Formats: sequence, C-alpha cells, structure tokens
Amino acid sequence: MMDQMRLIRQRQSGSRKTTSERGMAIPGSPDTLVAAVHALKVTFERAGTRIFALRGVDLEIAPSEIVALVGESGSGKSVLGLSLLGLLGHNSKPEIEGEIEVVGAQIGSLSEPQLRRLRRESLGAVFQDPMTSLNPTMRIGKQLAEVAGSAEACIDLLRSVGIPDPARRLSAYPFELSGGLRQRVMIAMALAGSPKLIVADEPTTALDVTVQAQILELIRSVRDRFGTSLLLITHDLGVAATVADRVVVMYGGRVVETGRAESLLREPKHPYTRALLRSRATLDASGPRRLTMLRGEGVDSRSEEPGCSFAPRCELAFDGCAVTPELEIAGDHRVACWRAESAPGPEADPLVHAPPVVAVSKGLSSVRINDVAVSFKVGRGGSQGTLKALRGVTLDIEPGGALAIVGESGSGKSTLLRAIAGLAPVASGGVDISGAGKVQMVFQDAGASLTPWMSVEELLEERLIACGVRDRKERHRRILEACDSVGLYQQLLPAKAGQLSGGQRQRAALARAVVVAPEVLLCDEPTSALDVSLAAIVLNLIADLRERLGMTLLFVTHDLAVARVVADHVAVMYLGEIVEVGTTEQILNDPRHPYTKSLIAAVPESGHLPVPLKGEPASPLSIPSGCSFHPRCPSARSSCGETSQILKVSPLSRGHFIRCEPVVEELTWR
Amino acid sequence: MGLFILRRLVSALGVIIALTVVVFILQKISHTSPVHALLGPGASQAAIHAETIKLGLNKPLLTQFLHYLDGLIHGNLGISYRTRRPVTADLIEFLPATVELALVALILAIGLGALFGLLAVRGGAAARIFQVVMLLGASTPGYLVAFAGLVFLYSHLHILPATGEASPSGQFQTGFVIADNLIAGDLGGAWDGLVHAILPALSIALVPAVSIGRVFKSSLEGTLRSDYVRTARAKGLSERRVIAFHAIRNSVSPALTMTGLQLGLMFAGVAVVEEIFAWPGIGYYTAQAIPVSDFPAISGVTLVLGVGYVLINALVDIAQSLADPRIKL
Amino acid sequence: MAIAGVYQSGQVSRKRVLPGVPEFVVQSSKGSLVTAALPILMTVVVLLVPVIAPHSPLVPAGPAFVPPGHGGFLLGTDSVGRDELSRVLYGMRTSWFSALAVIASGLVIGITVGAVAAVAGGWVDALLMRITDVFLSLPGPVLAIAVVSALGPGLVHTLIGVGIVWWPFYARIVRGEIRALAARPHLEAAKMSGVGPIRRTVRHLLPGALPALVVTASLDIGNLVLTLAGLSFLGLGAPAPAPELGAMSARNLTFLLQDYWTAVAPGVGILVLALVGNMAGDGLRNLMKDR
Repeated sequence: MMDQMRLIRQRQSGSRKTTSERGMAIPGSPDTLVAAVHALKVTFERAGTRIFALRGVDLEIAPSEIVALVGESGSGKSVLGLSLLGLLGHNSKPEIEGEIEVVGAQIGSLSEPQLRRLRRESLGAVFQDPMTSLNPTMRIGKQLAEVAGSAEACIDLLRSVGIPDPARRLSAYPFELSGGLRQRVMIAMALAGSPKLIVADEPTTALDVTVQAQILELIRSVRDRFGTSLLLITHDLGVAATVADRVVVMYGGRVVETGRAESLLREPKHPYTRALLRSRATLDASGPRRLTMLRGEGVDSRSEEPGCSFAPRCELAFDGCAVTPELEIAGDHRVACWRAESAPGPEADPLVHAPPVVAVSKGLSSVRINDVAVSFKVGRGGSQGTLKALRGVTLDIEPGGALAIVGESGSGKSTLLRAIAGLAPVASGGVDISGAGKVQMVFQDAGASLTPWMSVEELLEERLIACGVRDRKERHRRILEACDSVGLYQQLLPAKAGQLSGGQRQRAALARAVVVAPEVLLCDEPTSALDVSLAAIVLNLIADLRERLGMTLLFVTHDLAVARVVADHVAVMYLGEIVEVGTTEQILNDPRHPYTKSLIAAVPESGHLPVPLKGEPASPLSIPSGCSFHPRCPSARSSCGETSQILKVSPLSRGHFIRCEPVVEELTWR
Repeated sequence: MGLFILRRLVSALGVIIALTVVVFILQKISHTSPVHALLGPGASQAAIHAETIKLGLNKPLLTQFLHYLDGLIHGNLGISYRTRRPVTADLIEFLPATVELALVALILAIGLGALFGLLAVRGGAAARIFQVVMLLGASTPGYLVAFAGLVFLYSHLHILPATGEASPSGQFQTGFVIADNLIAGDLGGAWDGLVHAILPALSIALVPAVSIGRVFKSSLEGTLRSDYVRTARAKGLSERRVIAFHAIRNSVSPALTMTGLQLGLMFAGVAVVEEIFAWPGIGYYTAQAIPVSDFPAISGVTLVLGVGYVLINALVDIAQSLADPRIKL
Repeated sequence: MAIAGVYQSGQVSRKRVLPGVPEFVVQSSKGSLVTAALPILMTVVVLLVPVIAPHSPLVPAGPAFVPPGHGGFLLGTDSVGRDELSRVLYGMRTSWFSALAVIASGLVIGITVGAVAAVAGGWVDALLMRITDVFLSLPGPVLAIAVVSALGPGLVHTLIGVGIVWWPFYARIVRGEIRALAARPHLEAAKMSGVGPIRRTVRHLLPGALPALVVTASLDIGNLVLTLAGLSFLGLGAPAPAPELGAMSARNLTFLLQDYWTAVAPGVGILVLALVGNMAGDGLRNLMKDR
C-alpha cells in the first residue's frame, strides 16, 4: 500500500522520535496506568429496543500516552470516551458491566460527588463542536474560572494554548471568537487543574483543514509539555496517524485491533482495519479511480447475536466467526479475528481499481461561468455589512469533464455551485449552460434534501412529471430503472427519508437526480457527513453514473483527497476567488500558489505532522486589501498587501492558472 | 443597543395607536348610542339633537377620531353610563387593587411555573405528583378554585378571609394595600393584605403557571441535552451549579415570552375572581359594566389594560435582548 | 444490480413500517396515543348529549334544590328544579363546540395568513406580519369583552371577539415553521426537480408546519375552554335560560355555601373539558417529540 508505506517511512525518518525513545507506547504495569478499562459492556434502552453500545471492551492508557480511538459511527468510540469521564448516566440510564479504572479510581464505585472531584482534578474533556460546547451566554473568563480559579490562572492557561492577548479574551463571549480559538479555549479548559487524562472526542472534525493542523500540533505539544495522557477519538485514520502513539480500532462495540500507530498502520491485521485503510480517499493515489468498498452499511447495534460484529461485511468470514474472537497478540500488536493469521497481507489484497474515468465528449454540453459575483447583505441596523461570497469567478468546463472545487469555509465554493444551480442570486456576470434546465444537484446532507413526509417514489415521480413525462407506465419504468442504476432496492420506494439509512438516502437523492439524465451534475460535499466506508461507496457511484450518462461533474469538497479521486481538474478557492486551477496532477502534485501548498501540507494523512498555516481564513465580510491571502502567506512580500492579483497562466503549462504574480514571475525567469 | 430599544418602543407605540383605532371602531358600531345612554329613554328629540352636536357626533369620522385621540392624550376616557363619573377617575380608584392582585398572581405563576419545570426535569415521584396536581389545577376554572377555597378554607376551616382586599381596619394611602402597609411599617397590615390576596391570586395563577412551566420545562430539557452542559459536567461542576449557572439562564427566554403572553390571557380570570371576592379592582368594575353595556367604561378598561400589556411585552423583549450577549444591538 | 461490489440490505432499516399507520404511532407509548385521542372521544360524547341527557335542560323536572343522588337526579336540581346533570351536559356541548369553532377558524385564518406571508415574502410578508403583530399584541379577553359589549351580548359575538385575537398565534407558528423549512435543502432539491411554487408550498412546506400547529392547537383547547367559561361567568355568553356552564356558576354563586352543587357542578363540567384538552395536548406533544 503506497500511502501506508509512505506514511511509515516519513514517520520513521521524520522529526518525531519522542514516542519510541521514551518507550511510552507500551502500556505500563497496571498500577502506573492512567486508565484501564476491562470487559466493559454498556447497553442503552431506546424506544423499547436495547442498543448494545459496548460489548466487552479492554483499553489501557499509559502516562503521557496519546491513544487514538478510531471507528465509524456506531462503533461505540464516543460511549467509551464518555464512560472514562463518568458521564454516561446523565441523559439516558445505561446498564454498565465491567471495570473502568481511571487515575486509580474505580468509576463504578464512586459516588456522584467523588466522580465530580475526579473529573475536576484529574480529567479533562474536549468535544467536537467548540461552538456548541461552550456556554453561549457566559464569558470565556468565567467559564475558565469555574475550573481554573483565579484570573491569573485563566490567563496562563489561555497563553499556554497559544491564544494571543489572553487577558483581553477573558471578557469575550464564545461567539466573538473564531472556530480555532474556541477549540483552543476548550483545550485550555480541559488543561485546568493539570489533569492526568484528557478525553478529546473528534476535536478537529468541525474545523477547516489548516486550523485542524494547528489544533493537532497543539495537542502534541500539550502532551510533550505537560505529560498529559490523551484519548483522541476520531473517525479519521489520517488524524490518528499523525498524532497518536497507539491506535485502537473499534467496530460494533468491540476493539478489533490495537497496536503502536506505525505498526498497525503498516501491517493492519484485522480485515476491517485493512478495509478502512483501503477505502479511504488518499492524496497520493494517481488520478481519478474507484475506491475499495466494504459491502453492507454500518453495524446493527441492536443485534443480540454473539460473534464477530464485522462478520456480515467481512470477505474472510467463516462459520467460526459466530464465536466472538478475543484480542490476541499477533506480531507486535493485538487483533480480534479468527483469521488474522490466515489473512493475506495488505499488498496481496486484490484492489478493485477500476479504469480511470474517461471523459465522454459529446461536444454538446459545457458550463461557462463568466466573472460571476455573488454578495449577500447581512445584519441589520448599525452592523449591516456586505458578505462578498464570490468576487468574479470565471471557469470553462469541458463537456464530460470533472472539476473539483476545493477550499476552506468562507471560500465561496458552495456559493459557486449554488450560483450555477440558480439557487444563489448572481449580482454580476453570467452562468451559461448549454442544455439549460438539465442541471441537477446532490446536497451535502442527502437526508435533508429529501422531503421528510414524501416517499422516494413520490419524489422521483414528481421530477418525471415536471420534466413532462405524461405516461404513468413510462414513469414507473423509469423509476425502476433509476433505482437499478444507483443500486437502490425497489422495496425502498415507498419509504420516507427517516426510514432510510445514510447510504440509502444518498442513493435516493442520486436516483432523483438521474431519473431524467442531467447534462451537469453538481455535488456539494456529498460525502463529508458519511463514514469512510460509506463515502467510498457514494464516490464510486457518482463516478459510475458520470461515466454511463456522460455528465459533466462539478464537485465541491474541502477534502483534497476526495478531489484526487473524483476529478480530472481542480480549482482552489480562497475568499471568493479562484487562486489556482489546473489538472488534478498539477494542483496536487505540483502546487504553485502558496495557499494551495499550505493546504496540501496541512492534510494530516501525509504521514508527517501537518504543517499548519498561521491564522484562520479571513471573514468574507472584511476581505484584506491587495492579495486577499497575504496576511497568512508564508512568502508574502510587502507589495502583496497593495496590489490585487489576477489569475495568470503558468509559464510551464497552458492549462494551469495561478493567482500570484511573484510565483508566475519566478517560474518565468527560471 | 439604543437602536433596538427605540425600534421596539416605536413598534409598541404603533400597536397602541392601532388599539385606539380598534376601540374607536367598536365604539362607532356599538349597539348602544352614547346619546341615548346619557339622556335616558325619555329624552326629547331636541335634547338628542343638542347632545349629538355637543358630543361632535355629526362631524366626519376622521374629525371624530382625532377629537377622540385628543381626549385620550388629555386623559379623557368619557363618562361612564353607570357611575355617571369620568371613566378616568373610576379607573384611578380601581386600578391599584388590580395591579396588586395581578402582581401577586404573577409572582405565584412564575414561581409555580419554575418549580414545575425544574421538578419535571429532575423527575421522580414527587415531581410526577406535583405535575398531576398542577395539570388538574390548570384545567380548573378560576372560579371553581375560588369556590373550593371559599367552602373549605373560609367556611369550614376559617383559615382565610372570604372577601375584600383587607380587613376593615387596614389603612390605605394609594390603594396598594400591601405596599402602603409596608411603607407605613405596618407588617401586620401588609400580612393582612397578603392573606386576603392569596386565594384570589392562586385562582388566577394556576393556568398561566402551567403554560409557563410547560415552556420552561421543554426549554430546560433542550438545554440540559446541549453540548455546553455536557462540558460543564465534564469540568466536574456540581449538578446544582450546572443547572443554576449554565442551564437556567439559557432556558428562561421562551418562558419569559410565555409569561408576557399569559399576562394578556389572565384578565378574564381577574375579572371573574374580583367579582367573586368583591375585590375592588377594575375586573370588578368591568364585571359591573358588562350587564348594563357601559361601553365607555369597558373601552377605558380595554385601553388602559391594552397599553399596559403592550408596554410590558416590549419590556420583556428588551430585557431578553439585554440578557443575551449574542444579540448585537 | 448495476454496480458490482455494492451490497445493501433490502429491508427498510431501523424502523418497521406498517402500511397506512404513521410511523410515529408505531413507536410511541400507548399512553400518549390514548390521551391524544381523547378529544375525538369527547366530541362523540357531546354529539350524543341529546340522547344521553335524562331530562330537558330548560324545563323543570322536579322540586328545587334536590341534592345530588336523590330522587333520581344524579347531580341534583337547581333553584327552579331543572335537572343539573342535563344542564351540565348541554353546557359542555356548547363549550366544547365553541372552543373547537374558535380554534378551527383560528387555524383557517392562521394557516392562510402565515403561509401567504412566508411564501410571498417581501412587502406582503411585512404587511401581514405587522397586522398579525398588532392582534398578537392585544390582550385577548379584554378585547373580547370590548367587542361583545359593542356588538351586544350573545354567544356568537363572544366567539367573534375571542376569534379575532386567537388566529395570530397560528399565523406566527405557520410562518415560522415554513420559513425554517424553506431554508432546508429539500426545498431547493424540489426546485431543482422542476416543481412549481404552488406544489412546493402545498406538498413540500405545509405538511411540515402541521405537527407544531396541531400540538399548539390542542394545548389551546384547555385554555380556550377556560377563557370562554370566564367570559360566560361575566355574562358574555348566551342569554339567561340557556345552559351555559360559566353563567350557571355565576348565577348560583349565591347558593354556594348551602346548595353548593348548583354552582360547583358546572365548574366540574368545564374542568373535564379543559382536562381533556390539556391531556391531549401533552400526549400529542410527546408523540411528536418521539418522532
């Protein structure tokens, strides 16, 4: 596996050797452990059904160790995190079996006041969304002081997590801070009282990739400076690979594999871990391709059947899987699988690499976007302002081409898509689509794009009627055909969105989009809310449909790896402008614009600790003068703040455009 | 900030003007002519004509309305058909008692509503019993609560007094019995006023208490499920502190809005209860006016209560915006 | 299967669907379902009152002030010997239908105004919402008293007076819900499917506003029954011989300490109606919350 190999190589040769030098990755003897969970079972009851969240989990965390808990939704990773904090019982009363020992105390035997004391003195927590995790009506200083005590202590904490001007921030409310600063405040709060263990549940998932890199760096430095142990819960193997000493992979309420990060990622033994690694979209694969897919969707947490939870989706499953496998030592890590030894190594796995998507040129349809600008009025009264979402975007997309539009929040990438769809008011410029009316859109949240009280069939039929298909039989035929082409079972046609699983919803949304084949398919982050294995299925499906129907594809994503998989061209946007556009190869392998370079360097999966870009994207409400990127640009010159840049063709390639005069100049003279 | 308050007050003024238009229109379509009502059935044609001119009823509608507005601004609400006194004078006499009763009832309603919400969130047997009792209370017409109180607490047990605002010996300055006695340092008198007020106030307060409690409960439930409450618990704060410092403040806003709205709905109950307890307030005054179709009295009451209600709701909005730092003004 | 390597279960995941039964009915507790159905039961009962009631509500059927349970009068007789039970039953019939009438008219006006405002937007929205705000900002019972004393006493006038101030709540809810729904992607998806504005409103927006509306309206039954009883107590309902619960209690207030039932029984009738409304509202809300 290319990506894994590279990942390991860089880890070994890279700057960080602290882990192996200190030897902290190996769990110490029981009495020195920060946390030890043994045979933990947690069962909830919801609407009369028993949900088996954890089915017998062992976990050990050594002092100063960063353990990454990796899993998809339904794996029980967050429940495990909450049980370490003793926070399980608050909103639903679960049945808990097994032992949870944290900092020498048995959680199960503690009274509520003792638990609170443990949390106050020895534990810290960081949650996913820093916007909702801080009390919106309480000043930062007061929220910190609840655990830190004096104002001086608060200021010290804020300073230690790299918040500039900490004294002034004390009187700020959370909404006055940016996302990255809010997450830093959360980390400062978790650090108060010098805890032994911090549980961080998806701490970077809600953040932009450049900010994510900053927070990951902070997490490492917290461990290095304070010796705090960290349990990092994440769905992203890339995040786990960059910061963790040890990785614990969970599936269906059990730990399926655990070991040192580098060894586990180099030689995954469990079929699930291997599938997870293979189904990820990664940056260094070459060109548009199909991803390896896991069969089936998600895990049934209600199943009372014994045995390996992964067996229904496992290619190696046999009769013996009906007996639950225990974690056994396998090589230098531990794995819970009867066939771990007999399993072929990762390289030997047959990779389902479909041939690259060929652009079907019919010479009919193309999208021509000419200097499109979109702005919105925001606020009222005194604080009125203009949000410049798009500031003159020009693009010409070949018929049958696939363009990925990437950027961070506030870059205008979604607005561009909506302008093409006719859903955003275009202030100036024009969108020209030959074969007008043949644009369809796939939304980020497929569930929300289906009308909740209408059945899939009603939604498909409605579109056919709107497109002038009068004959009922004809409509029925085409509905069945569309279901077939997106792999949606016909039995699901009478179902409503709430009754469908995540994958089925995305299929239903796609079926509606293609029941009358569009010329152009617009995709707005259709996989960003999905689990890794599900995202692979949806990405492949979109590629298949595009190939078969000869559609032009515009795909908005914040994830460069996804762009690599779906597109032949990539446009990078920053604050409402395209800063660089070219073929996928050019942009991802040979980026020229400083922003594109930083964006790629910030992706955690490349194996090295991501190189964070300073600062956070400026608000589209107040765009910096000159080159809008200059305040964050590592190679900015003094003149960059004065002259605004234009998109210029690269001297090296005619299809490659860069909005950076110094770079183009340098290339010219070389 | 100032801008928001100004805007809210201007909109309140708009509603008040609309209210005067509504009352004026009602007056015009009223089935009792003011001329006949004032002169009585046996008046001569000439007298009616003279009175019509005197009241300006022969002028164009707009002129009449402006004349009416002018009167209102100068505190002229017309002459009551029943008492034959200026409505303004009547209201000044009757208003304090009602304000006092409404305040006691409102405090009761907010207290019971808050208790309802907090207990419901805590759960347990006591909470459930309290909820059932409150639900029964909120389904009971105010007069039935009053009857029960009269039959048991007054007639059988002699715990509470039956009628009136205070025992006859009490001293009055402004009509606010409890406040007057407190100011005069007469704690006994204030207590006497409170004891007189408790049964009528409870009869009025139960319905709004449950409405407020319901809203507070669901808002509190939502807050307690929120991420920041989880953060507060993860910090190791006590549950009491979590609720007091993190949950309540972020849950009161919808309950406050409901309190403002309930204030308007309370008046039917106020009138009924004042009638039963012979409480000398404007509810009693209105109840006396209704059977004789004393329209000037009723329209005066409508205007005064309407203006009060509009202003209170504007104040509630302003208070909420002050409490929420996210609303930048 | 068109795509190789894609597997999925053919069953509808998580929830089982029974044909014709709304999904939320299946998974919610039976208790909530029963209480939510109470208003239907109540409507049937009051419809049957002419059959159930043992005597005429207007003609004396025995001696005056017969105590409850004596002489075949379950709730006794009143000051002129009319059967109290029959009067209370007829009174409940009037009260129940009055409350339903106000709510129904409130819903019709509220949905229309709210939907038009939300969909039209712009100045239409601004105008309609200003009007709504004015009525929402007026104290309901006070205005009802003013309207009735202007139009003259009578049940219909009372209902008009209360109805005038009742619809703005619903208009606000409908507008708010529709505006929230309109910001969801499903509306944009419908637009991109080529669905026209009228069908979008009726099929993709309005059904989503109904649950909140139904809960509010059912919670309002109790409040409305009590408000109307209060107004009737003050003499704002149908004139004298008519069996009106609030008015009956008011007129028999003088007998409270001796012949308590004449004043209390009508109040209990109101209590039953309001309790049905309150329980139904809470039950429905639980059902909707489970969804």
